[in-house]
Amino acid sequence: MTDDGPEKTENEGQAPDSGALTSVVRRLSSGSERDFTAARQSSKVSRFMVKMIKDVFKYRDLLWNLVARDLKIRYRGSILGFLWTILTPLFMAAIYIVFLRLLAGWRVAAIQYEDIIIGVFAWQFTTQCVNAGLNCVTGNSSLVKKVFFPRIILPLSVSVTGLVNFLLTLVVQWALVAILLTMKGASLEVTTLWVPLLSLYQLLFNFSLALLVASANVYFRDTQHIVNLLMSAWFFMSPVMYPLSLVESMARSHPWVGQLYLLNPMTVIITGYRALQVPGAVFPWTATSVAGLLIPLVIMGIAYVAFQRSQRYFSDML
Amino acid sequence: MTAIEAIGLGKWYRKQDIGSPTFLGALPRWLSGAKADGFWALRDVNFKIRQGQTVGVIGPNGSGKSSLLGLIAQTMVPTEGAVRTTGRISALLELGAGFHPDLSGRENIYLNAAILGIAREDIRRRFDHIVDFAELRGFIDMPVKHYSSGMYVRLAFSVAVEMNPDILLIDEVLAVGDVAFQTKCLDRIRQFQKQGKTILFVSHALETVEEFCSDVLLIHEGRFIMQGKPSDVIFSYLKSYMVKLGLFSVEEHGTREVEMRSIRLLDAAGAETAAFSTGGAMTVEIGYRAHRRIEMPVFGFSIKTGNGFYVFGSNTQIAKVPIAAIEGDGLVRLRIEPLTLKQGRFFLSLAVHSWDHKTQYHRQEDLHPFMIKDAHDDKGVFQLNCAWEHQPKP
Repeated sequence: MTDDGPEKTENEGQAPDSGALTSVVRRLSSGSERDFTAARQSSKVSRFMVKMIKDVFKYRDLLWNLVARDLKIRYRGSILGFLWTILTPLFMAAIYIVFLRLLAGWRVAAIQYEDIIIGVFAWQFTTQCVNAGLNCVTGNSSLVKKVFFPRIILPLSVSVTGLVNFLLTLVVQWALVAILLTMKGASLEVTTLWVPLLSLYQLLFNFSLALLVASANVYFRDTQHIVNLLMSAWFFMSPVMYPLSLVESMARSHPWVGQLYLLNPMTVIITGYRALQVPGAVFPWTATSVAGLLIPLVIMGIAYVAFQRSQRYFSDML
Repeated sequence: MTAIEAIGLGKWYRKQDIGSPTFLGALPRWLSGAKADGFWALRDVNFKIRQGQTVGVIGPNGSGKSSLLGLIAQTMVPTEGAVRTTGRISALLELGAGFHPDLSGRENIYLNAAILGIAREDIRRRFDHIVDFAELRGFIDMPVKHYSSGMYVRLAFSVAVEMNPDILLIDEVLAVGDVAFQTKCLDRIRQFQKQGKTILFVSHALETVEEFCSDVLLIHEGRFIMQGKPSDVIFSYLKSYMVKLGLFSVEEHGTREVEMRSIRLLDAAGAETAAFSTGGAMTVEIGYRAHRRIEMPVFGFSIKTGNGFYVFGSNTQIAKVPIAAIEGDGLVRLRIEPLTLKQGRFFLSLAVHSWDHKTQYHRQEDLHPFMIKDAHDDKGVFQLNCAWEHQPKP
C-alpha cells in the first residue's frame, strides 16, 4: 500500500441493468457489429491487463497470504497432504495403464507409461485450478461482501496455489519418468529444464479458466455440474492417457480432425511437456498447433473482461 | 475538504428466489424475456461529509444503512449515481472476515491484516502489542477454531484497530463483546477522532451516536431524510419512526374541545431537544387552543420507559394547581427539576381532561420520545439522592 497523497476513489453506477451477466454476454457478442476494431479491442485488453497487474501488485500481500493459507491448510504438520497430491495422479495413471492393457483392443503398444504419467500430472494441474476456481468467490462470500479488494485476487490465488502444488509434484513426476526411461536405457531430455516455463504458460491458461468458472458460479450455482460434465468430456478429447500420435494416425483419412484436435490448448500443452522431457517425442509445429498455443491468450483476454464486468455485482449475488 | 460525497446515489436489488440462482432456473426467464423483479434499497441519496467529521447513520432496520456503507466501501457498485471519496478507506463491516478456523491466531493475524490492507511490516512491528491488546498471549499459536467467541472477537478487533485509514467505516461492530471490550472500542474511536480521521458509523445505539458524532444522517426506506446535529436528527428519528413502529399505544384521541397544538421539550437553557441529562432540567411547553370556554380543565402527564414501564404520572389536579377556566389560545408549562431519571429512552404522554375525568378533551399517548444521558455510574431508572455513613464499633 502506498501512502503518497490522498487517494481519490469514485464508485459510480450505470443505468439500471436487468442482469450483469446478460450485459456481459451482450457486450461480448455484439463486439463485431460495434465500433470494436481488432486493434482497439486489443489495446483495450492491454489497458485492462496493465490495471490488473497494478491491482495485483498493490495487493500482493493479500495474494501471498491467501496462497500461504491454502498451502498451509493442505500441508499442515504432515506430509499426508503432499502424499495425496501425489497419490491422486499416480493412482489415476495406474488405473489407465491397467485398463488400457486389459480392455482396450487398440494399439496399446504405442502408449508409453511416461506419456501417461506426464499427461496425468499436467491434467491434474488444470483440474485443480478449475475446481478451486469454481468455489473461490462463492466460498469466500463474507470476504467479498464485507471487504474491498480486487476480486481477481481470489481466482489468482487458487491458480498460484495450483502452480505451487504442481511444481511440488513435478519433482516426483521427474523421478518416475526418469526411472521409466532408465529402464529403457534412455534418460530425460536436457530441455526438461524448460518445463517450469511451460507450466507458467499453463498457469495463465488455468487462471483464465478459473476466472470464467468463478464468475459463472456466482451467477449460476449449477455451473459446478456443467463444468464437471465438460471436464470429463475434455479429458477424453485431450491426449492425457494416450499420445498425440494415436490421434494423428487415427485422423489420417480426415486430416482436418487432427488439425482441429491441435486447437485444444490442453493438447499442445501436454504434448509440449512430453516433447520437452521424453527423448523422441516431438512437438507438431504446424499453423494450427501454434494457434492452439495462442488460444489461451485470447481466452485470457475474454475471461478477464468477463470477470471484471461481472465482479461488480458479486456482492449482490452472494 | 469533502471526504465523502454521495451524488444521486441509488442501489437496486433483484428480488432473489429461495435457494441459489441456477442456470437451469434462469433459462425459462430468459426464454420468456420476463423482467426481473426488484426493489430500491437506496434511492436519490445526496450528502457531503467533511474531513475529520464523525458521522452516525441511523434509521430503522432495513432502511439501507448497510447498503450505504457497502457502497462507500466499494464492496458494492451503485445502480445509479456515485460516491466520491478522498483518502484511504478502511471498512470495519465485519470482525474477523476471512479468519480461517484451522489456522493459528498468529497466522490469522497476518491473513486478516492482509485482507484489511495493513502492511505486513506494520503488523510484524506491532505484533506483540496486538497479542497483548487481545489478551491472548498464551493462545496465539492455537487454531482459532478452538477459541471462545470472545477470544475470536478480541483477536479480530485487535487487528482491525491497526488500520490506519483516512476514512473509517464501522457497521454495528461496536455492539459485540462485553463492557470492557466496548470501552476499548470506544477509546480507540476517540483516538481516531483526535487524529482527524473521518468516521462514518452505523449504529442503533443512539446514546453512542449522540456522544460521538458531530453529524448524523437519517435514512428511512432507502431515502435520505436529513443530516444535521445529533440531537436534532435523533429527536426527529425517535419522533417519526420509533413511535410509529407500534412499540406503544401511540395515539391521540379526545373530543378536541381543547387541543394541544404544539408540544416543545426544552432543556435548562430553553433550547428544544430530545436529549436531557440526569440532574438537569426539563420543561414541557404545551400550546393549547380551547375552542369553547372550559371550566376547571386538568392538564396531566406521564412518563414510561422504553419498554413500557410506567415511571411517573401527575396532573394539575393532584399538584393542586387548579386552572379556573380556559378559552382561546394559551400555554401550559411543566417544569421537571432536577430531572432524576437515569440513562435510557423514555416516552412522554400528555392529556387534558375535565375535573371529574369524565371527558377526555385531548390525550397524546406515548407520543413524545426523549432520552436521558447520564454521567453517573450508579444504576437504575431513578437517580436517588443518597449519602453513605460508616460507623465502626467504638
